[in-house]
Amino acid sequence: MSEVLVWNAMIGGIVFGMVYALIGCSLNVLAGVLRVINFAHGEFIIAGSFFAYALFTGLGLHPLLSLPICAVAFFVAGRGLYYLLVPRLARSDEPETSSFLLMFGVSLMLIAAMTWIFEADIRPLNFTFDPINVTLFTIENAYGEGRHGRVLIPTARIVALVINLFIIVGLTWYFYRTLPGKALRAATMNREAIQIVGINIHRLSSMAFGLATSLAGITGVLLALVIPSIDPNGGADIALIGFVVIVLGGLGHPVGALFAGIIFGFVEQFSNLMLPQAAAQMVGFIILVAVIFLKPSGLFGRSVLR
Amino acid sequence: MSSLTSMDEAKASRIRHTLWFGLIGVVVLWFGSIPILDGNQSLYFSLMLWVTMATSFNIIAGFTGYMPFGFVAFYGMGTYTAAILVSIVKVSPYIAIPASGLAGVLIALLFAPTLRLGGIYFAIVSLSLAVILQRIMGLAPEDITGGSGGLNLGQHTVREQGFYAMLIVLVAALATVTWLTRSRLGKALRAIRDDAQAADAMGINVQRSRLYAWLLSALFASLCGGIQAWFTGALDPVTAFDVLITAKTVIYAMAGGLGTVTGPVIGTVILVWVDELIWRQFPVLNSFLLGLIIALLILFMPRGIIGTLMQKYPRCRRLIM
Amino acid sequence: MTASHAVAAPADAILRIEGLVKRFGGLVAVDNVSFGLERGDILGIIGINGAGKTTVMNCINGIYHADGGQIFCNGRNITKLSPHAIAKAGIGRTFQVPRIFHRMTLIDNLLVTSLDSSESDAVLIERAEHFLERVNLAELRYNHGEELSGGQQKLLELARVMMFDPALILLDEPFAGVNPSLCRLFIERIQDLQRDGKSFALVSHDLTSIYKLSNNIIVLNQGQVIAEGGVEDIKNDPAVIEAYLGQ
Repeated sequence: MSEVLVWNAMIGGIVFGMVYALIGCSLNVLAGVLRVINFAHGEFIIAGSFFAYALFTGLGLHPLLSLPICAVAFFVAGRGLYYLLVPRLARSDEPETSSFLLMFGVSLMLIAAMTWIFEADIRPLNFTFDPINVTLFTIENAYGEGRHGRVLIPTARIVALVINLFIIVGLTWYFYRTLPGKALRAATMNREAIQIVGINIHRLSSMAFGLATSLAGITGVLLALVIPSIDPNGGADIALIGFVVIVLGGLGHPVGALFAGIIFGFVEQFSNLMLPQAAAQMVGFIILVAVIFLKPSGLFGRSVLR
Repeated sequence: MSSLTSMDEAKASRIRHTLWFGLIGVVVLWFGSIPILDGNQSLYFSLMLWVTMATSFNIIAGFTGYMPFGFVAFYGMGTYTAAILVSIVKVSPYIAIPASGLAGVLIALLFAPTLRLGGIYFAIVSLSLAVILQRIMGLAPEDITGGSGGLNLGQHTVREQGFYAMLIVLVAALATVTWLTRSRLGKALRAIRDDAQAADAMGINVQRSRLYAWLLSALFASLCGGIQAWFTGALDPVTAFDVLITAKTVIYAMAGGLGTVTGPVIGTVILVWVDELIWRQFPVLNSFLLGLIIALLILFMPRGIIGTLMQKYPRCRRLIM
Repeated sequence: MTASHAVAAPADAILRIEGLVKRFGGLVAVDNVSFGLERGDILGIIGINGAGKTTVMNCINGIYHADGGQIFCNGRNITKLSPHAIAKAGIGRTFQVPRIFHRMTLIDNLLVTSLDSSESDAVLIERAEHFLERVNLAELRYNHGEELSGGQQKLLELARVMMFDPALILLDEPFAGVNPSLCRLFIERIQDLQRDGKSFALVSHDLTSIYKLSNNIIVLNQGQVIAEGGVEDIKNDPAVIEAYLGQ
């Protein structure tokens, strides 16, 4: 195996792993605070990508500029969606199952809406950075005598990685150093107790929903930087990755998801490199099932088995 | 509140069952005559298919309270097993269809341990299973699953036979749920749905009862998939594992009322007609409306048509199952 | 818990608990609890909120798995059994907040306990009707559980456990939220069952009813048994008075 490919897989592992970490983190904010697995999360993320796409093709706005707009717009939309949907759920016979079904319905609507607006084709996002690629280093004689191999990384991915790092540092700071962040963490630990302490759980939950949606939107924009083509039907694949990450990192454990995301990024890149295609696709699912049965609390978390 | 004597209840139960079996008889005669009378076979086939799907979903979701969001996995497994056996191994559909049912049961057995997880984990694994099976079928070598292009078995099969096979499976599924409501297993399942821990404390073997429901449910869903391949003669991974199949099944069953015998049937009949008449014209809008209906049902009528009737008018329970 | 509290239960004890421990994370909810319950007796379990009463119940009937110690029913070790196996071993229970099957008829609620019975449905239905009559719910037998009031749901639970016919019945706060006349009915039925040879473990805040019904009482505080004995002993035990009124 070429040394260049191994380096590429390592770089890919970090770049994608960080994106996965973000996906898992936002899913876990919901899983922790609301006890909801958002089946529409993949679609939320794709919607973020399309948001960047629409601003780029419509107004010529660079994805980097649409990032903050997207964050705010999705936050507002998420809170709106929360008040529209969730309070009614509490009255249902089976709030948990109902919430899954509800988000399942929302995901179908989002897929249909995106297919309708942007059509079923995969959309390319033709923004550019200058230079397009950055050469990290050159490996001499990588492909045999005299044929050197260059380890490249697209500039867009470096940018995405850096932004991603800032967001993750910001999130960690938010969760551990700010009052609302601590309240969110407290709510993931004990939803009943936090109400006794006088926190309005609806307000907090809507904040969580808004935050998770906003993060999903941001993830979508970053994903568009990393892979500049958008598939309205790609939500299920993204959701599956998200599930693997949150299970691996411990359900409802936003920080566990960060580590799990990076781990899974590496696992995925290297299994793509080393395994036949069909087998590589299954790796994530196998991890998912194995962790659930062998260590349901995740690699870092606590047990949430019912 | 109404009060009844046992006599009344016995009589009501007899009326209920006579009505119900009479209805099934009429449906068998009516549907059975469609191919002979040159009726719209596709429409009637899809009615039968979806009633069976909704009914088998009802066995696991309505009677035990589990929501397998990857329900299409069973259906897709059935489709592929039947298609591979017929078009590649070249066996008769009469062997391939039971084998497809068996394949569904095997997959259900393999994932039976997920039943003890419940809640979030069950939902995640079940949904992921469907996604991953779809990918595997699409990426597997073409001489086994046909790859992303799928398989064609039209030249080996007769459409009408598929139609009648569906009718037989439909009746079997309806007979099974009817039996289930009266049987002790059915009572155990409903007790588990209402409160699994309390049922456990009352001596019900929760795991075993759930397993039976799970396997039954998988059996009928995979038979549906197998027969669908027989009837249409072609398949591919995208349609065989389409998330919309799960969505439709859930909606049809829920609209009528999970946990009732007649609910999924009525829900399906109404919505398949609506589907055929209106939504077909707008394929994109179709799945948007499906999603919207799921959301609206969950928020405003979680018990469906029949379930709501029974809740609002307890007397209805004497006449509908 | 000191050795002096460990009961050397006689061989025919219906229930014997030795050194039961249950932890939730760092919290020790039940800390080395031992007691015995003789056949035909009613054992009252009292203690303030969070003393571990319901946790003990949940360990006995298998909803929680004990982290330490052993539980014997009729001399048989049931510590590791699942709830339905423990039910089959002869332990029935009611819950603090009634847990009936709300979308099933009252008759079916009772039949759930007898699904493995070899008797015919007709016989079982007749018996279910009989027990519903004993708790004044016969009129409503074809109504759904969810149509009952809170007090009626408690009675339905009692009828369900009667139908179930276990040797030992665990009652968790049976009198909470029940009006006085229903409460009297409840107490009468418990006494009837005791005359039929059933044993009870009774958790309650309501000391009056406990004192009235129990043969023996144990007092839990912070997961430990701080006192046990007959009704009079407990009434005058300084440790009990302190646990309830002190601090």
